Parts: sequence; C-alpha cells; structure tokens
Amino acid sequence: MDTTAVRVQELSISYGTFVAVENLSFRVRNGEIYGLLGPNGAGKTSTIKVLVGVLTPRSGEVEIYGTPISDEVASKSQVGYVPEEVVLMDSLTPREFFEFISSIRRLEPSTANSRLERFVSAFELKQYFDTPIAALSMGNKQKVAIVAALLHDPKLLILDEPLVGLDARSSRILKELITFHAKKGGAVIFSTHIMEVAEKLCTRVSIINRGKIVGEGTVDELRKLVKDAEGSLEDIFLKVTEQEAGMQDLIKALEEEA
Amino acid sequence: MKFRELWKLSSTVYKEISFQSIFSLRVGSALPQRGKSDVKRLVKNAGVSTLISKLITTFFIAIFGFTVFLPMTNLVHPSPASPSRDIVLMGSVSAFLAVVMFLIVFMGLQVSTAFVSSKIADILGAMPLSKNEVSNIIFLCFLRMFDIPLVTGVAVFLAAYFWVGGSILGGLLALVAVAISEIFALGLTISSAKFFYSRVAAGGGRSKWQTFTRVVFMIVWILPTFGAYIVINFAGNIVQSFASITQSLTSILQVLVLVFPFSYGFLVSYATFFKTSDYTLILFSAGSSIVYAFLALLSFRWVTRTVRTIGGGGVITRFREIVKDTWIRPQIPWVGIIRKDLRIASRVPAFASLFLLPAMQTIILALSFSSFTDLGLNVTLGTLTGISLITLLLPPTLLSMEGLASAYTRSLPMKKRTLISAKTLLSVATYLISLVVLLFVAVILNRSLSLILIYGGIHGLAISAGIMLELTLLTRKFWKEGFAVGNIYSRLTSYILILIPGFIVAMAPIMSIIAVSYLSTSLALSTFMFLVFAFSEFVTMTAVVALQK
Repeated sequence: MDTTAVRVQELSISYGTFVAVENLSFRVRNGEIYGLLGPNGAGKTSTIKVLVGVLTPRSGEVEIYGTPISDEVASKSQVGYVPEEVVLMDSLTPREFFEFISSIRRLEPSTANSRLERFVSAFELKQYFDTPIAALSMGNKQKVAIVAALLHDPKLLILDEPLVGLDARSSRILKELITFHAKKGGAVIFSTHIMEVAEKLCTRVSIINRGKIVGEGTVDELRKLVKDAEGSLEDIFLKVTEQEAGMQDLIKALEEEA
Repeated sequence: MKFRELWKLSSTVYKEISFQSIFSLRVGSALPQRGKSDVKRLVKNAGVSTLISKLITTFFIAIFGFTVFLPMTNLVHPSPASPSRDIVLMGSVSAFLAVVMFLIVFMGLQVSTAFVSSKIADILGAMPLSKNEVSNIIFLCFLRMFDIPLVTGVAVFLAAYFWVGGSILGGLLALVAVAISEIFALGLTISSAKFFYSRVAAGGGRSKWQTFTRVVFMIVWILPTFGAYIVINFAGNIVQSFASITQSLTSILQVLVLVFPFSYGFLVSYATFFKTSDYTLILFSAGSSIVYAFLALLSFRWVTRTVRTIGGGGVITRFREIVKDTWIRPQIPWVGIIRKDLRIASRVPAFASLFLLPAMQTIILALSFSSFTDLGLNVTLGTLTGISLITLLLPPTLLSMEGLASAYTRSLPMKKRTLISAKTLLSVATYLISLVVLLFVAVILNRSLSLILIYGGIHGLAISAGIMLELTLLTRKFWKEGFAVGNIYSRLTSYILILIPGFIVAMAPIMSIIAVSYLSTSLALSTFMFLVFAFSEFVTMTAVVALQK
C-alpha cells in the first residue's frame, strides 16, 4: 500500500527572472511530520504555496495523495492550510468566516459544529466569535486561520510558521494537535524558523537553501551528514546552509562594538 | 524639525495610506508575490489612482462651479418673468457652497476611512520624533488628501463669481464662505469616517437588528453620493427653481438667511448688488454668518485635534458583545459565496455602492424618460439598454471581492462554475431590483407596464448571458492570480476588453429588434426575435459555465 501523502518532483518556481526554487524533490508519507527549514527567502513559502494551489509552478510535478495539483478541487479538498501571513477576510467575523469556509468545503452542519466547538474552546476564541477579524490581535487571527484549517479534518496539514504570534498555551495545544494528527495517520508539512520546535516535533526535516534542498532526513541522519554527532538541529542548519562560517567572528565584532 | 522635512515625511505616510485605500489592504487582501517590478507598478498605480480620484473631485467642482453660475449669465437681458439677479446669485453661491461640501466629504470618504483605520502612530511612533512632530506629520498627511480639491474649490468659486460680475467686497465674503464650507466638509469627512469605521466597518454583531442597522448605515453612506450626482446634473435647474420659489415666497427668505450656506449666499449677493432695503434680512444673514464663522473655527480646532488623536492612537472600535454560542450554518457552496459577498458589502462602502448603483441609475434613467408621455417600445428599449450597461459593470468588481484574502481563499476547493454561478445570481438579482424600481417609477408616472415587464423580463436572459460571459473570461484570466482588485483595475485594457463582449451579448437582442423593424412592423415578430436571441444566448452561456471545472 502506498503511504505517500505528498510527492514533489523536480519542482521549479520563478518570479519573473528570479528563480525561487529549482528542481526540488521530496516525499512526505502518512504519519510523518515533515519540517521545511531554511533561511529567509530560501523558497519554503513558495514551495508551500504551490502545494496548496495558491501559486503556479514553472515546472515539476506535485501530487497530493496521488492526485495531481492540477486537479485543483480534489487536491485542495484534502489539505488544511495555515498561511505564513494571516490575510483573512477582515470585514467578516470568525463565525461568518467559518460559515463561508465550511460552505465551500461542503461540511455537514453537525460535523462542522462539533469540531468547531472543540477547537474554539481549545484556542479560547469564543469571546471573539462575533468580532470582525480586522479588530482581532495577530495571535487571534492566527488562531482563526488554524481552526479554519482543521475544520474539515484534512488528511494533510500544511502549516507555514503556524506558531508565530501564538501564546504559550495555544502554541502547546497546536503542537499536540499536530502530533496527534500524525499519530492518527495523517501527514503534516510544517515550516518554522524555531529549530528547537522542529527538532522536537518533526519526524523528518528538509533544509532548503537558495531554492535547493541541501539536507534531508531525520535529525540523526543530518548529524551524520555534517559529521557532528552531538550537534543540535540549529548547528546542523547553520552548517548545511553555510551560515556558520564567519558567524563567530561576526558575533565577536558585534560584542566589541557594543 | 523644519516644516519642509515634516512635509516630506508626511508624503511617505500619505503614499502608504493611499496604497492601503486603493488596494483595500485594510480588509485583508494580499499582493501577488511576483517580481519586484510588479509590486512597484502596483505602488505607482496606487499613487496615480489617488491622484485621479482627487482630480475627478476637482473636475466636478470646476464644472459645477461654472454651471451653477450659468443662470446669472441668462439674466443679462432678463424677461419680466425672470427671477431677480440678487436672488439667483444667492442661489448660485449657496448651491456651490453646499455641493463643494458634499463633494469633498463623499469623494474623500474612502481615503479618510483608510486614514482613520490605519495605525500611523505604529509606524511613526518608533521613530526618533517628538509627539508634536508626529502629530504635525499626521495633520499634514490629512491635508494632503484634500489639497487639490480644497485649492480648486476656492479658485473656481472666486473665478466664477468675478466672471458673473462680482464686487471686491463680495469676493472677500465669498472667500470666507468657501473657506468655511471647506472646513465644515473636513469636519464632516473625518467624523463620518470615524463613525463609519468604529460602528460599521469594524462593528460585528450577529443579531438581525445589528445587520439591519449596518445596512441602513451603508445606504445612508452611499445615497448622498448619488444625491451629489443628481445635484450636479441638474445644477442650473435647481438654482433657477430655487430663485423662482424664493421670489414668490419672500417669507422663506427670512428663514433661509439663518441657515448655512444661504446666509453667506444672501450676504455675498447683497455685497454684489446692494439691492435689498430689508435691513432685517441683512442683519439676520450677517448675524448667522458670524455664528457659522465661529462654528467653523470650532470645527477647525476639532478637526486638527481629532486628526492628531486618530494618528496618535487610532480609533477605538465598539465593545465586543457577549457570545452565546459558536453555532454555524454551512450552506451549499454558491449560497455560501453569496452570503459572504453580501456580508462584505454590508461593511465595505465600495462594494455596497455596487448593488445600489443599477437601481439608482434606473431612477435617473426613468426620470430622464419621464418626459415621454407614452412608454413605447423605443423608450423601453432605451431604458433597458441603460440598465444593462450599468448592470454589466457589476460582475468584474463583484469578482474582485475574491481578491480579499486571496492568499488564503485560493487554497480552498472552489470550482470555477460555483463562483461564476454565485456572482451571476447576485448580478442578475441586482438587475431584477432595477427592473422593479423601473416598474415602480412607471406606476408613479402612470405609464403602461406591459412593455417593461415583457421586454425587461426577456432581456434578463441576455443580461445573464452577458454576465456569465464576463465572469467566464475573468475567471480564466484571473483565477490563478486571485482576482486582486488592483489586478483588474490596473489593467484597464483587459478590463475594457472583458466588458465589451458582455455588452455585445446583452445588446444583441435589442439590435435584432432594430433589424427586424426595417423588415416588418409586426410587434409580435420583433418580440419573438428578441426572445429567440436572448434565450439562445442564455442557454449557450449556461452550457459554457457548466463546463467550467
């Protein structure tokens, strides 16, 4: 039985003449939490946007549970997505926004409401339910986006820096939800800049630098790759993205200046 | 910091606010992440659009300024029945002051709402600027929003006044009057924008009463725009009628001179002709003018204080209400889209005006055609042509609503045909409302309804086809880009090229009648041809939409 949730083959993305991602290939299997790591502008968000159908790639193949992303409705139906930048319909209230999302996803009222009740209570959103999204704090907007992504119980969760803006409690709940989702057999693609979180949460990680994968595997596999048996994911990350060299000198120079 | 530096800094803040207001970034849309040049083009377009908006206001003020004084030039060789020159001048001056106020308020509303909702202090607060400097920058930025219309208002008014033979004293009074009118306009703009943002745009609420009040606010918000439009269209007639009524009922004048802008209208007129010997009127108008000048002074102080406060801390939106449950009612997708669109329209004036535009335009068209005693086929078709052209402007903007939060909603499993069907239904509903308005006007004017009912009903099929064609072309072109508002309007050629086929489809049945009328005088044959064309177009476009994935 094929357990592949996401198959990305030779994906290339460009903005005009600027090439953001080049020949990127990876697979994510069911039950995995796959971390996408990389410095700013490495191509993580562009890759994620292609997976969720927001961006059209220049070339390459992408399949979600065997469905090519060109079959937009079928592939998007299986995905729950939290974007990096939370741009929701600000003039709607969360209630109205969830009604819209669940209408488009053709959810049964009873199913939608029972799931919604649980998530709203978990993320303490009830008091803001009839307040326009425009008037919510960044953290609460993020919570609305997370709940909207979970509402239809998707097989694949794609989360682009979902912890940004969340308080400690919500952050913990989300991490538990992600783990639980993977244990249930679902797949998660998770992008973050917080290496400690990625190290603890992700089954496998892929490090992208300048649009190319420079390292992929479990943390142990990556340690072998950089020949550093004790190193943390942060150390590995800095090595494979070639950011470590000269960094100590830079820090020293900054210290002296201070 | 020097004034020059403050002025320069205010330009940067002003550009940001213009950008936000034009691209509705405050309501959650995202710019397409494309090349640098595309973003630069969008920023440039935002600046150009704001300038165009200011120039349109200026153009209206300039046109109106001279139109409103035209009745004066007709009185060079007056007939015995003509109203006296001083009364006409009073009407012209008063009408100009009132319209300048309306135009500045309603044309500047969108950008001032963006100003009120923006958190300028968040940007400026972190800079090494004193509170006083920040507040000065904010105030200068507010002035930049209205600079050209304000200056034009004064210049046009004085030019038009001296053109009809004004005096020096009258000119000075006219200058004071227009300045007061503009101060009141700024006061009204900022208070309306503040009220709108805190109570409507950012006001949630679930109850039917809250929804109803929101819709009422929105209508009140939009109607004066159309009012200003009608006033401009019929400026000369209004002044003429005003003069005739005032002359025949002199008692009205004693009350009017107490009311702004008539108090200044009378005073300017008196300073021009020194004609009246009724010193009570002079005393009343002078007294009330002083009171209005004092009120303008207070208004100016309030505006400066409020603008600075808004920039300093933003506007506080209404309190959150207690939420009893989290129950939601999912619908089938196209109903969900319609409901979402109506909800957005109830909070965003730009979209709400869309739904009212065809009905308002219908009233104007119906009034224009009211001079015809018989509502025959030609008049009916002429009116239907007008309504259909306005209705067909609706779908592109309606579709641009999908640009709000497109960076998120594009990840939803939405079918093109669902989207097209939902937007078509909304647009057709707007057409049907226009038709009902037309029928209502026909009943009031005691005209026959049968032709409007038959042809209007059948034409609905052709208009639906035109709408579906526009939406199909638009979804094909902008589906991947998320329908961002800027995408559609910044590509004017594409926009026009999409409107033209829609117009052709809607007009084809009307053209068929004109063609048939050359061959036969039979109304039955014309009606049959009209039906065949409209029905075929509707069936064809429905099939095309059904094939969209």
